[in-house]
Amino acid sequence: MIDEILQEEEYSELSFLEMLDHALNRGLVITGEITIAVADIDLIFVGLNLLIGSVETINQVLGTRARKESQGEQI
Amino acid sequence: MSLYVYCLSEEKTDALEKITGAGGAKPFLITRDAINAVVSEFVGESISATRENVIAHQRVIGHVLAQTTPLPFRFGTVVTAIELGNYIDSQRERLEALFARVRGAVEMSVKIMWDKNQVAAVKKADIIEERGGAAVGPGRAFLLARQREMAASEILKRRAEEIILWMEERLSDAARESVLNAQPAEAIVVRASYLVERDRIELYRERIKRVCEERADLNFLTSGPWPPYSFTKSP
Repeated sequence: MIDEILQEEEYSELSFLEMLDHALNRGLVITGEITIAVADIDLIFVGLNLLIGSVETINQVLGTRARKESQGEQI
Repeated sequence: MSLYVYCLSEEKTDALEKITGAGGAKPFLITRDAINAVVSEFVGESISATRENVIAHQRVIGHVLAQTTPLPFRFGTVVTAIELGNYIDSQRERLEALFARVRGAVEMSVKIMWDKNQVAAVKKADIIEERGGAAVGPGRAFLLARQREMAASEILKRRAEEIILWMEERLSDAARESVLNAQPAEAIVVRASYLVERDRIELYRERIKRVCEERADLNFLTSGPWPPYSFTKSP
C-alpha cells in the first residue's frame, strides 16, 4: 500500500497533491469560470488533470529512492 | 474590495481570527439568513495558485470542518459581497438540500492505481494469442492490431468495473454515499469519494484497511477526512 511505503517528505508532497486535487477540481462554484494566476499567466481554469501529476510524483519519488537504495545510500 | 470565499456553513465557526487565510488575510463570517459564508478580504480579481495560498485555503476550511461540516468552495473563488449575497439567495433551496446531504459527515478519498506490469501483461497476452495464426497482409495486420487494442481496452474496462463493484460491496455499509469513477485508460483506474458519518470513520478505516490487504495487486492512495468537496453537486 502506497501510504505505508512513502516516507515523511514524500507523504507530505502527496498530501499536498491530494489537497490540490480536491481544492482545484471540486467544490462549489459561484461563477462559470474561476481565474487563478499561475506564475505570471492568468489561467482560465477548466480542469487540471492533477491526478496524473500525482502518479508521476509517486513514480518519481519511488524511482529516486530505488536508485539511492541501489547505490547503497542511507535514506 | 473583493472577497475570497472558502466555504458555507450552517453553524457559526469559532476562533476564525486565530488562523490566517489566503494572502495572509484573516477570515471572518458573513451571515445571510442563517447561512454563514467564511470569507476574507482580497485585493484583486484572481488569486495566485501558490502552495501557500492552496494550503491557506485548506487550513481555513479544515478549521471549519473541525467544528461543523461545510460546503467548500473551489480554490480561487473571488467575488464581490453583492455577488456572494446573490448566489446564496438564488441557490438557497439547493444549498439547503446540500447541507442536509452532508450534515454530520466528512469525505474520505481513495485512488486506485493499476500495477503497470499487470496492464502491460493484458496487452501482451492478447498479442501472443493472435500470433498463433498464419502470416497476413498489411491491411489485415492493421485490422488485427486494432482488434487487439479494442480487446485489450475491453478487458481493462471490465477489470475496472469489477474493482468498482468490489469496492462498493466492501465499503457500502461504512459510507452514507459514494462517488466512484472508473478510468481504465488512465494510471489511476478508480477515483472514489465516500461520504462518511463522523462516528463511522473508524469503521470506514477498518474496511479500507481490509480492502487494501485483500488486493495486493493494486496500489491504493487513501486520504481524509476532507470537507465534502465531491458532494457539492446536486445528485
